[in-house]
Amino acid sequence: MANYHPNHELLMQFAAGQLSNALGIMVACHIENCEECRAVTQNYEHLGGDILESLETIELSPDFISRTLSKLAEDAKSPEPASAAPPVVDARLPKPLQRFLPNTLESLPWSGISSSIQQFDLTISDRQYTARFYKIKAGKELPQHTHKGNEYTMVMDGAFSDESGSYHKGDFILADTSTHHQPKAHADCDCICFAVMDAPLKFTGFWGRMLNPFMR
Amino acid sequence: MTQVASETSFQMDDLIVRIAETQDQQAFSELVELAAPRMKAYAIRCGAGVDDAEELVQECLLTVWRKAHQFNPKAARSTTWLYTIIRNRRIDMGRKNKLDIVQSDDLWPEGETDLLEDDVERDLTGKLVRTLLHSLPDEQRQIVFKVYFEGKSHSEIAGELDLPLGTIKSRLRLAMKKLDTLAKEQVSWLTIILIMNF
Repeated sequence: MANYHPNHELLMQFAAGQLSNALGIMVACHIENCEECRAVTQNYEHLGGDILESLETIELSPDFISRTLSKLAEDAKSPEPASAAPPVVDARLPKPLQRFLPNTLESLPWSGISSSIQQFDLTISDRQYTARFYKIKAGKELPQHTHKGNEYTMVMDGAFSDESGSYHKGDFILADTSTHHQPKAHADCDCICFAVMDAPLKFTGFWGRMLNPFMR
Repeated sequence: MTQVASETSFQMDDLIVRIAETQDQQAFSELVELAAPRMKAYAIRCGAGVDDAEELVQECLLTVWRKAHQFNPKAARSTTWLYTIIRNRRIDMGRKNKLDIVQSDDLWPEGETDLLEDDVERDLTGKLVRTLLHSLPDEQRQIVFKVYFEGKSHSEIAGELDLPLGTIKSRLRLAMKKLDTLAKEQVSWLTIILIMNF
């Protein structure tokens, strides 16, 4: 059970369908195994239903119903081909991430940053967010650092600690410009984290270097 | 007003069940008449042009037809179900021509409703009669709308409304606190009613 959770603002944005990229995937991963946050999200979906119900009505084109009905008949004639489920490479991963990792956690093509930390960039990075996996070697400590923007981290495997707490699988942590910390992986195994960082447009092309939170 | 909207919700529950059970086209047409004009308003408030809005609404209605059997009126209200459908289709339509690869199926792998029938609390939450939204003061509701329709960040909302960021944050926090409290209160209230009935 996770001890650290996304704040309610994020959960509301998620339920509103307004976190639909890397950060959305991360919230979805947390929710998969956190009953508490799933229940909160569902309340916000009910709120979404209430909002929909409370809206003004806007008239549809006169032929809308007939067009929709004929589309219905068309669909019935040619049923949608069942889309082939993508191969699952690591069923231990949260479902929302399964499509986006080419290998199991252990055999990801990690690239080294230093002897104590390696990274793997996810394909779900976009102009707003950079998404990345980090692996901190068991027992290793990172240099003291701070963050340029917001950095959301979710522990995928193992555990790490910093001055403010100890974080385990499923925990969801927000670090921002006011966070100065020195994370240390627990001694028993490597710690793998999923991190999503604000990536302001001006850094496009320099993400790897400029937004690497651990090297500043 | 609130009462009327709520009746609409129950009416739609029945229509969706009829669609599921007998592929009733008459029920489908009635559902379109009830739901589509508000769904169009949702699409337009989310920034869609008129044509895109109608296309989105149409796609959602076809989804309703296909997935009607998944709707469980004991577990969820039709408005919530329709909301999750239009939210998900909006995300997917918005990405069609982009490099964005995240789809609504990734975000909600269980589909539009993942309500378990044996989960009493969720069952009750799904039946919450009325209505979290109307209990919010205007100034809080306005900010909640901006989150749902425009995906605005707090600082963007602050800029638009020409208010300090702290004010926006505290209004939204108040709104969310109130909604959570209300949800919990209504759940316990419904529990009492159910216990007395059985």
